[in-house]
Amino acid sequence: MVARRLASGGTWIDRRRPVAFTFDGAELVGFAGDTLASALLANGVTGGFRSPLEGRPRGVLSAGDEEPNAFVEVSSPWFETIVPATMVNLVDHLVATPRAGVGRLPGDEVAPRRATSRHRHVETLVIGAGASGRAAADEAAARGHRVLVVEQRHRLDEAVPDGVATLTSTTALGIYDDGAVVLYQRDGNLDRIWHVRARRVVLATGAHERPIAFAGNDLPGVMLAGAAHTYVERFGVLPGERVAVFSTNHAGHEAAEVLAAAGATIVAVVDPGEGGPATQRLRAAGFPIHAGSVVVATHADERGGVAGVTIAPADGGAGDGEAVRLEADLVAVSGGWNPTVQLGRAIGMGLAYDEAKACFVPDGSGPPWLQVVGAAAGEVPTSMALWSVEAGDDRRKYVELQRDQTVADVTGAVGRGFRSVEHVKRVTYIGTTIDQGRTSGVPTAEITNALLGWGPGAQGPTNARPPYVPVPFSALAGLDTGPVLMDPVRTTPMHASHVARGAVFEDVGQWKRPWFFPVGDEDRHATVNRECLAVRQAAGVLDASTLGKIEVVGPDAGTFLDRMYTNRMSNLAVGSIRYGLMLGLDAMVADDGVAMRLADDRYLVTTTTGGAALVLDRFEEWLQTEWPDLRVFCTSVTEQWAVVAVAGPRARDVLTAAGTDIDLQTFPFMTFRDGWVAGAPARVCRVSFTGELSYEVHVPAWYGAHVWAAVLEAGGPIGLTSYGTEAMHVLRAEKGFVIVGQDTDGTVTAEDLGMGWIVNDTKGDFIGKRSLTRDDTSRADRLQLVGLATDDPGLVLPEGTQVVEAGVPLEPPVPMLGHVTSSYASAALGRSVALALVRAGRARMRAQLAAVVRGQLVAVTVVDPVAYDPEGARRDG
Amino acid sequence: MRPVLPAHAVELGRIGATEVPFLAQLDVRCDPADAHRLGFPGEPNTVAGDMARGVLWLGPDEWLVVGAPGTEATTTTELHTALAGTHHSIVDVGANRTVIELTGAERHMALATGCSLDLEPAGGWSPGRCAQTLFGRAPVLLQELEAATRVFVRPSFAAYVVERLTAAVAR
Repeated sequence: MVARRLASGGTWIDRRRPVAFTFDGAELVGFAGDTLASALLANGVTGGFRSPLEGRPRGVLSAGDEEPNAFVEVSSPWFETIVPATMVNLVDHLVATPRAGVGRLPGDEVAPRRATSRHRHVETLVIGAGASGRAAADEAAARGHRVLVVEQRHRLDEAVPDGVATLTSTTALGIYDDGAVVLYQRDGNLDRIWHVRARRVVLATGAHERPIAFAGNDLPGVMLAGAAHTYVERFGVLPGERVAVFSTNHAGHEAAEVLAAAGATIVAVVDPGEGGPATQRLRAAGFPIHAGSVVVATHADERGGVAGVTIAPADGGAGDGEAVRLEADLVAVSGGWNPTVQLGRAIGMGLAYDEAKACFVPDGSGPPWLQVVGAAAGEVPTSMALWSVEAGDDRRKYVELQRDQTVADVTGAVGRGFRSVEHVKRVTYIGTTIDQGRTSGVPTAEITNALLGWGPGAQGPTNARPPYVPVPFSALAGLDTGPVLMDPVRTTPMHASHVARGAVFEDVGQWKRPWFFPVGDEDRHATVNRECLAVRQAAGVLDASTLGKIEVVGPDAGTFLDRMYTNRMSNLAVGSIRYGLMLGLDAMVADDGVAMRLADDRYLVTTTTGGAALVLDRFEEWLQTEWPDLRVFCTSVTEQWAVVAVAGPRARDVLTAAGTDIDLQTFPFMTFRDGWVAGAPARVCRVSFTGELSYEVHVPAWYGAHVWAAVLEAGGPIGLTSYGTEAMHVLRAEKGFVIVGQDTDGTVTAEDLGMGWIVNDTKGDFIGKRSLTRDDTSRADRLQLVGLATDDPGLVLPEGTQVVEAGVPLEPPVPMLGHVTSSYASAALGRSVALALVRAGRARMRAQLAAVVRGQLVAVTVVDPVAYDPEGARRDG
Repeated sequence: MRPVLPAHAVELGRIGATEVPFLAQLDVRCDPADAHRLGFPGEPNTVAGDMARGVLWLGPDEWLVVGAPGTEATTTTELHTALAGTHHSIVDVGANRTVIELTGAERHMALATGCSLDLEPAGGWSPGRCAQTLFGRAPVLLQELEAATRVFVRPSFAAYVVERLTAAVAR
């Protein structure tokens, strides 16, 4: 095969702008406007590629996205893992290396591709900027529509009309419901994913030319006829000097004329049929026509490229004479045209076999907003149906070049009983390629049909799915990468202070919460011990701003909350607070928090940090779908309020020192007062999650940082210590207070937690009530919350540790009695504390059981969950 | 009182944005007929009023009344009076969201990197419009002014929104 740049011509290239590039180590020059493939051919590089499985020499087959052979890695001026050379726009200093169908992940030496995304709304989206696409865009623009035309090539053949937006180097990856289309734009080193919403989508994606399976059809120098035509016309490149054209349709014949006009010698025009008007025209012009004939073999030169072809009469046909061998360096093949409708098929567009055109065309089905025009709609040349040539070695008739799969492989699959083309695909891997079987799909289906004795079109190619071309994960991730943008990091108004004071943070959902506040080189253990002791002995302060908060307003608010919580909220006095437990419909504990009655018709309820959005959704769901008669409005105020929680025997002194107009002496537990703290308007709540005297100071968020700082400063001389979520967990575990989601897992009832007291089944219906009467929820042998005391007081059981009978042989299956849900070293008690869910746990009080720690049985005793201050004497200071 | 984004002054400047802190914001829920009587907008995603007091449509029975800092108490009283005898709810949410005000011609493009709404005039987005949506992964409320777009965002998400806008503009 001898390819070269012609002295003139080439509608895409700019001969005044040479472009230097490197391919496989060789320094070459092309022109601006070239693709890498056209520049390679212009430099006489006609092979240069290998097949991935058999390592056979391969060359450029196509001029488009159907390319199954010519894959490269681009390493400069940016990195692309693996792309077809036919789709690479030649730019200065491009460095490309052939890749045999398999890409390579770059190491750190490669700068990552940048990526972003855009949403776009248009009335009409046209996919494909060919003549049909431009006409559709023109018509839509004339109607005043916003029109976007996308073209996956890097340039347009002709300008689009005024007022029409275009994106080049942009491929539609997929079309989804209601005109949602995802586009992938390659802009140098920047990838951009477009999320387009269009009222109407026009598919103007053209058609793909089909190869024919004949022996030796994979040699470099076998090229699609339309591609050869394109290389001459767009790039001024002659892909071969002596050309055999093998075509079932007039497009191949036209390619012969173009190649001849460009200076090639046409050694044969092989037409398996009797020939139509195009054949007659060529015959009249003196082209050597071989009607009723086929190419039965190619012959390779010493480099593996095409050096000749053997032409023979088609089987059973009265072909033009005997088999003849001709010298040729290019076989230009056209086996007919497949409308490019993969994008449409994935959204429900059906196909029908068109016998005259020997291809599958859209059958008119599919979403009403999707229109298909031009070649994609089936406006393709009529063609004889020829998928593979009968004569010759089936093992060299390649159907799928990228998987080295041949007619013999398809025959083997069918011989093993596979009949559906979907199964043939999966057993041969045909079509599971980068090009997704664009050249192999229809031939595989039709060869299968023929082998089964079915007629042409009995089954079509395998279904198509997005993405239409491979897309880097980095492009899909877009801006949403890295520690800041991958997922929002939510912080409280006091965050800057926590950072300045060296807090170590814990992720709680999207929130960053201070985990502990080390001083100097203190480790976590020492820090948490210090923080816990401060709360038990003096005072501690916790940033509790992340608690979910919802205002529930309306005359029926009490009735509504009675139905949402297990206990009664409607008889709560204004100014008072009540703890509440919320169940799922299955009676399992779903969330907890407190309700404050702000006014007759107004409550503020708190939720767990992680449950805030879920609880509000649940409230709205029940109000909107089940009880629209209830006059209740719910409003999230989670971030309206920053919460500074002061706990410990000296909490009152801390608040006094910070300055407040609230009388802290006559302030009963589970009530709240509105007033001022440290100069800020505040609502102070007497609740406790530590067992100590506690005040939760709620202030509008914009005062949060100020009040936090003021309390810390005022409390310093009193021994106030800031504490984090770890100390909070220890303190509450010492008191046996559960954390929903840690000590519960969606299979735990209130009774299981020993909180049957909070379930009021006399007040009327509430969510989960009915499920409480199921036999299963009242089984005596359910897992129940208990405390576990280790015989070794210094041993902290790992959370999740299995609990078993003492002395049980550790031979599987070992009967499990439960597991540890919370476990900490308690500085206040000088020993470890653990909470566990244990089968019939409360009936085992004081029982000796065992925990399995690193394969060893460790002795534990079942105890009351409340390890610290069981009398509750410390609650009021 | 402390604004949410003082540490992001440089980023805000780079994207032509400013924080508008401490606006009075009241979440009002009531019967649409009562709202109509008060001149609240009935058309979804529109704003009634002016800069002194704007009423943003949030839902069929929900509005956000936005006013100058410090006006929440008087406005609350006024609305309670106007809605006396009806089932309604007025909740102070002034600190629940801060406002990032974007100016510059590129602002809609920056938002379009992470917001799926149609933010072009041809799609109906123009001064007087508002919408609750997402920017990236953060819930936001957008309000279009004559030459600016207000992004109402919860304080905890504000830094994320600024960082994402900055990254969007940089690309």
